[in-house]
Amino acid sequence: MTPVTTAAERGRPARPQRTPRPVRAVQYVVLVGVAALFLGPLYWLVTTSLKPADEIYQAPPEFWPTTLTWENFELAGQAAPFDLFFLNSTFVTVVGTALKVMNAVLTAYAFVYLRFPFKNVLFLGVLGAMMVPGHVVLLPNYLTVASLGWINTYAGLIIPGIGSAFATFLMRQHFRTLPREVTDAASVDGAGHLRTLWQVVLPMSRPMLITVLVITAVEEWNQFVWPLIVTNTVQMRTLPVGLLLLKDQEGPTNWGTIMAGAALVLAPMLVIFFVAQRWIIGGITAGAVKG
Amino acid sequence: MRSRRSFLALLGVAGAAGIAACGFRSPDAVYAQPPGVVPPQYGGRERVVFWHSYSGRNGKVLDEIVGRFNDSQDDVYVEAQYQGSYDDTAQKVAASLIASQVPDIAIFSDVTWERFYLNDALEPFDAYFRPGFDPSVYEPRLFGEGVLQGRSWWIPFARSTPLLYFNRDAFAEAGLPDRAPETWSELREWAPALARVQSAGRSLRSLAFLKVDGDWQFQGNVWQFGGAYSNGLDITIDEDGAVAAGEWQRQLIQDGFGYMASSVTTDFANGLVAMAQDSTGALRTVMENSSFTVGAAFVPGEVDSAVATGGGGIGMMRNASPERKQAAAVFLAYLARPEIAAHWTVETGYLPVVTAAQQEPALVDLIAQEPNYGVAIRQLPRARQQDAIRLYGRNANVAIYTGLQQIYADNAAPRDVFRSVARRLESIADEVRRQYEEKVRP
Repeated sequence: MTPVTTAAERGRPARPQRTPRPVRAVQYVVLVGVAALFLGPLYWLVTTSLKPADEIYQAPPEFWPTTLTWENFELAGQAAPFDLFFLNSTFVTVVGTALKVMNAVLTAYAFVYLRFPFKNVLFLGVLGAMMVPGHVVLLPNYLTVASLGWINTYAGLIIPGIGSAFATFLMRQHFRTLPREVTDAASVDGAGHLRTLWQVVLPMSRPMLITVLVITAVEEWNQFVWPLIVTNTVQMRTLPVGLLLLKDQEGPTNWGTIMAGAALVLAPMLVIFFVAQRWIIGGITAGAVKG
Repeated sequence: MRSRRSFLALLGVAGAAGIAACGFRSPDAVYAQPPGVVPPQYGGRERVVFWHSYSGRNGKVLDEIVGRFNDSQDDVYVEAQYQGSYDDTAQKVAASLIASQVPDIAIFSDVTWERFYLNDALEPFDAYFRPGFDPSVYEPRLFGEGVLQGRSWWIPFARSTPLLYFNRDAFAEAGLPDRAPETWSELREWAPALARVQSAGRSLRSLAFLKVDGDWQFQGNVWQFGGAYSNGLDITIDEDGAVAAGEWQRQLIQDGFGYMASSVTTDFANGLVAMAQDSTGALRTVMENSSFTVGAAFVPGEVDSAVATGGGGIGMMRNASPERKQAAAVFLAYLARPEIAAHWTVETGYLPVVTAAQQEPALVDLIAQEPNYGVAIRQLPRARQQDAIRLYGRNANVAIYTGLQQIYADNAAPRDVFRSVARRLESIADEVRRQYEEKVRP
């Protein structure tokens, strides 16, 4: 919040008017407020998972924990095979995301670059699928998966989710913004569709592709209802469902342990998000500027 | 959590509809089992899939009992699969029926087994009884709740009644006698003294009320104030007794001695509230998680002293194959052994559902050492099966606890709230009346 130096001001492209200082101050206060709103729960989750039990329920609450302990993580590890859940979640997320994004990219490419009858009607169909809440198809999906004998298998966990209308829509909208001349030039040079997709369209869509990848991965990772329904045994459970095992059917809930479990679930997605963040922002603004 | 509940409920409703529309389910068809993993040392045995609702500490104990059973003989392998809460388990069983892939036995709660019974999804146990696994083995009051039309459909397992847990250290600090209040009026008189005790930086509240599913505790409270939820399927929740119970609780909250909590026992174990009405099944975890001396006592009475039974029992799925049913019966007979039933009670706090378990040294010693474990057993003569509307009405419990939330959180007048709850319950009762008359009424 230090005053901007004149040198820097001179270096800048002409700004119509400098924001008055009080307005600036208000802006920063709002920004800090919003940041606190987003980071607060996260901070609370992480500190709670590191607090001893009696500090968790203290009133007024201890915002800065005095004693840190790994005990909650140890208890969570003893209560449920989190390493196994972690493997399952990773496998389902990696394979699920790959299939989903591949599907979305191919479909979007077809919608933008291929000519076929009823293209717009079909695309309306895809948009329509986006409007249907996922849980409406829960029962039909369950029946299908059951009749295929996929209950409690990786196929049952992954396959029903690999068609994503949202990812297709995002990719299609982005492909449409790409200059047609480039793809035309590619086809003049003799590139087929797959080569155009792989060497021309996708490299130009990297920010959007990464955005879609991250959104899809987070979605896959956090899935709860479907894995709960389609798996029966501890060996097949994913992390979010595994968190249930930390909760007692009767009696007091040990929130420290649950928070430790939640932190374990959260950490990988946070890491992925931080790493991919700069592309995501690029992707969103790129979309915004070009419309 | 809320949304998951409603989605699963949706699935369950669809499932129940599927069961009801017997068009695509033949009650006598043999369905496959849900897949799972059989360790090699148990290969070649008859596999029994057991869906249950016990996680955390109680889940560990159940796993251990199942493991002991599997090692005790060479014919049957029981695979215990945890499926979430009682409600989750019921929804999953309903879904499994549509998918034609059922567990052989499953845990059903006091309010979930009835729906499966009404829809012909359960197998009566009578043909599987044998010496050591027969009606005479079980606590008659609890066993009787699973008997309809002369046959047994639901075997007691993790049955409970509410207890009044109280913080003995806080009582001492407040200058109160070292016992729980015997009536709700007495509790009300003691509340100001407890409020003078400071706990975790604020004055200690006397009693917390559960936000979701508090209608089970309230069932007993209604009786204690002389009312009932229903008489058969005739709704009586808008009559004087129930209204008086609601009014007593509303007043306690308004005076600052009570509040609504999302986990009453968590608050209690952490010393935020002096007393809690909760299941006997929480006894072990409450005692282990509290840093003060925990007292357990009868739930206070007022004009009556009845308490509601609750918790889980085991039902057998009609669509399992005869071999799997026979194998499941071997496991149920194992659970009915006094030493096993006593072990379950000792480790969890649930009622000993097998009468002879009360004489088992492990339980006798434990009660001698820690009298809290004997309280639920002594309270048993006061225990009663819940009113029919809560047992047989689909989502009647939701209608009731939603009403209670209005009283607890919005200070709504109980008479008005219960009048609209009663309207809702009446239409719920109408849905099930035909089946009830046909299959439940003696």
